[in-house]
Amino acid sequence: MSRKLTLAAAALALGALFVAPAAFADEDEAESCLRTKIWDGYNDGWAVRTATSASLKQGEYRIYLVTLYAGNEYQIAGCADSHAKNIDIVLHDADGNVVSQDKTDDRQPVLTFKPKTTDTYFVAVHATELTDTTAPAGVGMAVTYR
Amino acid sequence: MSLIRPRTILALVAIAALSACTGAEQPEEPVTPPVAEVVKPEPAQISPEELAKAADNIALVPSPAEMQKALAAAGIQAKLGEKVPKRSLKMDVPNKDQVAVRTGVILADLLLTVKTAEKDKLAKQLMDIKTGMDQLGAGSDIAATIQDLHDRVMNDAVSRDDLVKELDELSGAIIPEIEYEAGPRSVPLIQAGSWLGGANLVAGAVIEAKSFEKAGDLLKQPAVVNYFQGYVKGEGQDKASGEVIAQLETTLNTLAEICTHETLSEEDVKTIQSSTSSVLDLL
Repeated sequence: MSRKLTLAAAALALGALFVAPAAFADEDEAESCLRTKIWDGYNDGWAVRTATSASLKQGEYRIYLVTLYAGNEYQIAGCADSHAKNIDIVLHDADGNVVSQDKTDDRQPVLTFKPKTTDTYFVAVHATELTDTTAPAGVGMAVTYR
Repeated sequence: MSLIRPRTILALVAIAALSACTGAEQPEEPVTPPVAEVVKPEPAQISPEELAKAADNIALVPSPAEMQKALAAAGIQAKLGEKVPKRSLKMDVPNKDQVAVRTGVILADLLLTVKTAEKDKLAKQLMDIKTGMDQLGAGSDIAATIQDLHDRVMNDAVSRDDLVKELDELSGAIIPEIEYEAGPRSVPLIQAGSWLGGANLVAGAVIEAKSFEKAGDLLKQPAVVNYFQGYVKGEGQDKASGEVIAQLETTLNTLAEICTHETLSEEDVKTIQSSTSSVLDLL
C-alpha cells in the first residue's frame, strides 16, 4: 500500500514536472541579450565599461555604484530573460536624488545620460514586474560610454 | 355596473401610475460591476541610506580607455597609448597582491595600445595577463579565453576593432566576475593597478597641456580611492604584501587627501602623478 502511494506520488511529481516546469532565472539569456546590444553599440561608437548580471524576484532590485565622467555620454542598458515583463533602470546622484529614469514597460530598458560634472552615481536595476511573482528572473546590466 | 366601472378604471389608472412611478415593469438597467483598477507595479523607492548600503562596486572603476575618452571630451588631445612606457613586469612573483596589481597595470597598457601596438607586443601582454590570472587562481576558462585571443593575434585572425571589443569585455565583464583562489582582494587590486596606470597617464597629459582647470573632472574620484583603500588597509590585509602594497596604501592616502580639495591645483596634479608613479616604479 505504502509502495503504491509512493509510486503514485512519484508519478504525480513527475507529471507536475511536465505540466508546470519550474521557473528559473536565466542569467545566460540575459547576458546573451546584453552582449548583442553591447557589440551592436560599437557600430555607433559605444564601448563597454562593465557588464554584469543577477537573479532578481519581482520587486527586488540591484544597486551599482558608478563613476561617470563629465563630457562622456553614457548608456545604461538592461536585458532580462523571458520571465520578466518590465525591468526599470533608475539613475540616482550621490545624494540619492533621481536624475534619470526609464519610462518604458519592457524587459530591455536603456537610459542615456551625459553628466555635467564627473561624479559618483547609483544605478538601480528593478525587477518591477515578472511573469511569475514567486520566481526570479535573470537580469543583466551594462554601462557603456562614448 | 355603470357606478363600478369608473371606480375600477380609476383603480387601474392608479395602479398603472404607481407602477410607472416605481418602474416595476421597466426593464432593469444592466448593472456594470465596478472595474478593479489595474495597478501597474512601479519600481521601489530607495532611500539614500539604502543606496549607499546596498551598492555593488563592480561598475565603479572607469576603464583606461574611458579615461582617454574623457580626456578628449575635456579638449586635451594627448593620446594616452603613446605615453605608455615600456614595462617588463615579472608575473611569477609569490605575492598574490603584487601579481594582481601588476596584472591590472598590464591590462591598462594593453587597452590603451591595442589599436596601434605591434602584434608581438600585444601577444606578450596577453601572455603576461594569462600568467597573472594563473597565479591568482582564476581558473581554466579565462586562461583558454586569453590563449585564444593570443593565438588569433599571432595568426592575424582578429581585426584590431574586434580585439578592442573582446578586450573591453575581458576587462569589464569577465575579469571582475571571476572567483579567484587568491581571494576577494584580487579584483579590487587588479582594478587598482589599471586605474593607477591610467590616472598616472592622465595626470601627465593634464600637466603637459597645462589644463589644470580640467583636472577635477579627470582625476578627482574619491569613491574609487575609498573603494581601493578598503582592500589595501585594515583587516584582511596580507602582512607579507611587501613594499608595493605599502606604497599603494601611502599613495591612496595621498589621493584621498587631494580628493577633499574643492578644485585641483597644478601642485595637486603633480602630486597625483608622482604618487602614482611611486607605485608603478616599484613593480
